[in-house]
Amino acid sequence: MGADASIGHHLATALAEEVRRADCLNRIATAIAVGNDLDSVVQAVVDGGVELTEAAFGAFFYNVEDAAGERYTLYALSGAPREAFSRYPMPRKTAIFAPTFDGVGVVRSDDISKDPRYGLSGPYHGMPPEHLPVRSYLAAPVIGRDGEVLGGLFFGHPETGRFTARVQDLLVGVAAQAAVAIETMRLKETARRELASLQFALKAGRMGSWELDVETGVYTASDICKHNYGRAADATFGFQDLIDAIHPEDRPQMRAAIDAAIAHGSAYDVEYRVILPDGELRWIQVRGRAAQTAQDGGARRLAGVSLDITERKRAEQRQQLLLNELNHRVKNTLATVQAIARQTLRGCPNPEDFSEAFEARLLALSQTHNLLTEQNWRSASLMAILAAELRPHGGARDSRFVLDGDGDMQLNPKAAVALGMAMHELATNAVKYGALSGPEGRVTLRSRRVGEGEDRKLVLEWIESGGPPVAPPSRRGLGARLLEDGLAGELSSVVRLDYRPEGVACRMELPMRVVETAE
Amino acid sequence: MTPIPELAGLRVLVVEDEMMVSMLIEDMLTDLGCHVVGPAARLEEALSLAEHAELDCAVLDVNLGGQSTFPVADLLRAKGAPFAFATGYGDAGLREVDRDSLVLQKPFREVDLAKVLRSLAKSISGV
Repeated sequence: MGADASIGHHLATALAEEVRRADCLNRIATAIAVGNDLDSVVQAVVDGGVELTEAAFGAFFYNVEDAAGERYTLYALSGAPREAFSRYPMPRKTAIFAPTFDGVGVVRSDDISKDPRYGLSGPYHGMPPEHLPVRSYLAAPVIGRDGEVLGGLFFGHPETGRFTARVQDLLVGVAAQAAVAIETMRLKETARRELASLQFALKAGRMGSWELDVETGVYTASDICKHNYGRAADATFGFQDLIDAIHPEDRPQMRAAIDAAIAHGSAYDVEYRVILPDGELRWIQVRGRAAQTAQDGGARRLAGVSLDITERKRAEQRQQLLLNELNHRVKNTLATVQAIARQTLRGCPNPEDFSEAFEARLLALSQTHNLLTEQNWRSASLMAILAAELRPHGGARDSRFVLDGDGDMQLNPKAAVALGMAMHELATNAVKYGALSGPEGRVTLRSRRVGEGEDRKLVLEWIESGGPPVAPPSRRGLGARLLEDGLAGELSSVVRLDYRPEGVACRMELPMRVVETAE
Repeated sequence: MTPIPELAGLRVLVVEDEMMVSMLIEDMLTDLGCHVVGPAARLEEALSLAEHAELDCAVLDVNLGGQSTFPVADLLRAKGAPFAFATGYGDAGLREVDRDSLVLQKPFREVDLAKVLRSLAKSISGV
């Protein structure tokens, strides 16, 4: 074979070799381009690197920083089983690895065991026993855009002098490609995770998302957003559909809010009622902001979320109703106290008598309020009210009282307050002037339910006996007024108050429909 | 408080379902020299008095045990008898048509009642 032929053969071999390498680089680039996850991309790079360098094995070590400091974990391996590495601790930043993990540059050695940096660190001072046999060594750092060392590509061969300067140059290119691929994959992963968690949050919060292209007027709504407006996921729901769904009274306010957000690029935050296709009324809260700013500073695109706040609105309305009711009750109670003060002052111009009588009446009122509060101001038991008003005078078990009832019943608040006060007045009068002023007196308290249907009545009788002789009072006091006018008027009752010589007697006929609780 | 000449003999319908409050208004009116019509604690009674009784003006509780007294207000308005509302609700409980009505906020003093009655009396003489 002549020299020319020899050169020709050499060139042909070199050319074939270059073609093979170019082909190999191309496959790495393709694998990176089409790769969809980090693992497969890194594996493709390592596999391609082994093929390119004709190494016996190759690996990519990932640079991980955590609380324990920097360490390196095996990410991808080619040409050797994974177990070949699992027995050893991961590489540390020894003299031999430092240039790679510090991102200084490529380390290429025809025989790593002869390298002056080799074997400097304990405990092995060289490769651990049973390590893959490495003599030829080639390592390149994989450096990200901001200079961060993402990891290192390592290739080895049991024979010496296997890696050429040409291969080293190519590997630098592969490492740069790998860096781009890894960073791209990381970004994609982050975006995927964020999107997934956003979708999870939207779903968990029953939040719909929407977007409005201000220029084209195209409105896009997520499935949950459509659901908020009573539309199926596959239904068309454009901007005009949205406007039409909003309660006509709330449209101007929504229009003003969205126009302001578009004109100034400001936040869009509005609550409105919507009428669902089936006629149901719901409350929706919508929040949004400019997703893209127009040249004039306004919004080019608006994006945001929508939330069904019907339950919250209902709760607010309930609360407002309760507050109004409470206010009403407090004001009426204050007026009642005012009335009690005024009435008491008429009967007792003397300050000491006044304060005693006034306080007793306030306590009587308060007792009834306590009983009503126990039952959410819906009702109070007749027997409980009688017992409460007799308590300051010895209580219902006091032998001076004879209770004769045909069963308990629930009174509505108005009847409870009126009867409570009436009983208080009767008892106070009995203690001061009547049967309870002496040890021999008795009070019989009788309750009967009589009549049928609309004529059902509660008949209450208060009968005093055994006390000092009774004469009609010269002045009509609060008690008499309360019983004869108040009960008669407010509870549509027939009340007869008799000042019999043997004792006061009071008979109250209260229509059931007026005194019993509605429930 | 002493009777006020311009209120003397003024016939005032009282519609109020709280027993003690009703007595209070009655007492105040009597002190001022007015004549009490009612008081009515129930709507039917109030409507009947508003329609048939001789009266000059009225003081209406807005709410009678869950029933509003607006029908009474309408009847009085049709008759040309001026009225004022007495309420613990503030203006919140009033209809649009009653927004210009005089309102006594519970609890109120006798002077407050006298002031409202003077306005009512004035609108009677003005007719």
